[in-house]
Amino acid sequence: MHPTVEIDGTIGRLVLNGQFDFNAHRDFRQACEEVLAAEAVREVHVDFQNVSYLDSSALGMLLLLKEKVAAASKTLALVNCRDSVRQVLEIACFGKIFTIR
Amino acid sequence: MKILIVDDTEVIRLLVSRFVEAMGHIPVTANNGAEAVEAFRKDMPDVVLLDMLMPVMDGPQAARLIKRQAGERWIPIIFVTAIGEENRLADAIEQGADDYIIKPINLRILEAKIKAIERTVLLNRKVREQSVKLAEYYDHAEEEKRVARHLMDQLVNAERLSDPQIEYWISPAESLSGDLIAAARTPGQVLHLLLADGIGHGLTAALNVLPLTQPFYTMTEKGFTLKDILAEMNDKIRQVLPRGRFVATALLAIDNINRQIEVWNGGIPDVFLLGKEGHLIKSWRSRNLPLGILPTRDLEMVTEHHFFEGDETLMVCSDGLIEARRVDGEQFGSQRVLASVESSPPTGRMQGLVDALGRFLDGLSHHDDVSVVMVSLAAGQSRSLSLDCESVYAGDSDLELADALLAEHSFIWRQQLSLGAEELRRVNSVPYIMGLVDQICTVPEVQSDIFLILTELFVNAVDHGLLKLSSTLKHDAEGMESYLQEREQRLANLQEGRIDIELMGLRVQEKDVFRLRVRDSGEGFDWIRYSPPRNVEIARPAHGRGILLVRALCPIVEYSGLGNEVIAYYVPKTHLLVDQAAAGGSK
Repeated sequence: MHPTVEIDGTIGRLVLNGQFDFNAHRDFRQACEEVLAAEAVREVHVDFQNVSYLDSSALGMLLLLKEKVAAASKTLALVNCRDSVRQVLEIACFGKIFTIR
Repeated sequence: MKILIVDDTEVIRLLVSRFVEAMGHIPVTANNGAEAVEAFRKDMPDVVLLDMLMPVMDGPQAARLIKRQAGERWIPIIFVTAIGEENRLADAIEQGADDYIIKPINLRILEAKIKAIERTVLLNRKVREQSVKLAEYYDHAEEEKRVARHLMDQLVNAERLSDPQIEYWISPAESLSGDLIAAARTPGQVLHLLLADGIGHGLTAALNVLPLTQPFYTMTEKGFTLKDILAEMNDKIRQVLPRGRFVATALLAIDNINRQIEVWNGGIPDVFLLGKEGHLIKSWRSRNLPLGILPTRDLEMVTEHHFFEGDETLMVCSDGLIEARRVDGEQFGSQRVLASVESSPPTGRMQGLVDALGRFLDGLSHHDDVSVVMVSLAAGQSRSLSLDCESVYAGDSDLELADALLAEHSFIWRQQLSLGAEELRRVNSVPYIMGLVDQICTVPEVQSDIFLILTELFVNAVDHGLLKLSSTLKHDAEGMESYLQEREQRLANLQEGRIDIELMGLRVQEKDVFRLRVRDSGEGFDWIRYSPPRNVEIARPAHGRGILLVRALCPIVEYSGLGNEVIAYYVPKTHLLVDQAAAGGSK
């Protein structure tokens, strides 16, 4: 997975692709740091459009991102979740603590 | 480097020795092939300079023996050869020599070759050291895994999973499973079942689920409720695991006496209730975040309740089963799980599921830990029914015993416990009462009976005496939910009231007898009108089975005063309990 970061005004978009699992750990962390370093960004969108699969380690990484985003006083949303991704997020009830669009 | 110089001409030996010494290496010499092999064994040189033609043993033969002796260690051999020996040289190189130099030796070329070999030797040495280190790491990791696996096995305790009601299957993605299945019974014989799934798989995932085992087993055995256990497990996870780590958890209580299931699902795929024919009756989807994410005070510990008939099967599985992917990326999915279970015979459902997954994956291995547990509600049923039917007190001898009991006023020991509104509101009192029982009696069957009786009398005193709840609410499943909600609310607002519990040990007709008295500060009820006749029929209403059981276990249960006090005499019938266990197990 090589996530890309797109900054559009106050929105920082973190576009993921392929399988989002433990192997994506390093790439994901780097991309997170990049998007959080951009001062203009108020809202971080994690884009799942091209993600085919995510596992529980990915959920753990999202939890860590949530904390970092909150510490930087920004907001976070998970966007473009396909069915397979949505199913995993739903089983974990992540809708209770994440904005999912 | 240590360099072995083998030549039958002394001048050459001397010349080359001086030269390599000047280069900073250590020379060792030998006169012929046989001496060379001996010197190699003794001095362990790093490089061998070997003359081709020598008396006793020639170069190529010595080279073969040296290479054999070196084994896996790489020992470069350089042949020193005269012009005209090319054919034998080619053979020698084929058999393992590494380089050659032409006689008469050009020292400039020899120097270059030794330097080149030195670079390779150093590199080779480094690779060897690393591979030894790697092998050590590997052994170390294997040993750690072995210990971890043993630890997991001990903590998971397969013995307790051998409960006749339970069938389970765990298939780890690596050598160690990060899924945990645990089962234990409360003193009141309620079966608690835990399926936990840590992040990832392998050792780290296994470490994530370990903190759950201790609160699960110890609190279940003390009679704590699912809520209490969940709170403790959440505390434990937050205490010991790093941030970003959580454990998806399904916790269930199966109460065969009241034919009730209680479910809490946080992050585990749907829990299924299957009918006799294997068809889906009900499912409980995950309504909660996995444990470890929220602080315990923010945790929603609302459990769901369901009354069951007695011929159903409960099934819980980890997401590794649902999300197992075959080569085209398609997931196994809940529908295939349900279909394979429905098409299997009742006793072969687990095997049917395992086979169906195997066919689906077609030789591919699943990427996450897979675990499935099935609980046959019928298997627990026979046991509780036999308890109802076989141990009902009747007949003349029992009436005689009853009279003797009522006539006995001296006790051997007495324990008392009083709980005020504050304690009732804040703590789950039953485990504390159980602490009393623990000190009095150590026979598990007797403890279990006393726990059942005390819980029933205590809960009745709280619910109806202090909280003034009407049990008619409990007639159906929906009523049960609202009853429990109402109970929670009223209990939280309880300002006054108290419950006194008294345990006494008597000795009547050479039998040990327990006298249990529970008194509440409520208004009581018209117990004369509501008391069922002695020969009560064992019907099966949704509620009130608990009190029937109390009547089955105790020759005397009587209300007194305003109906806010109840006294039960319990006479342990260990022979009966042993028979029952045998009967329950064989069905």
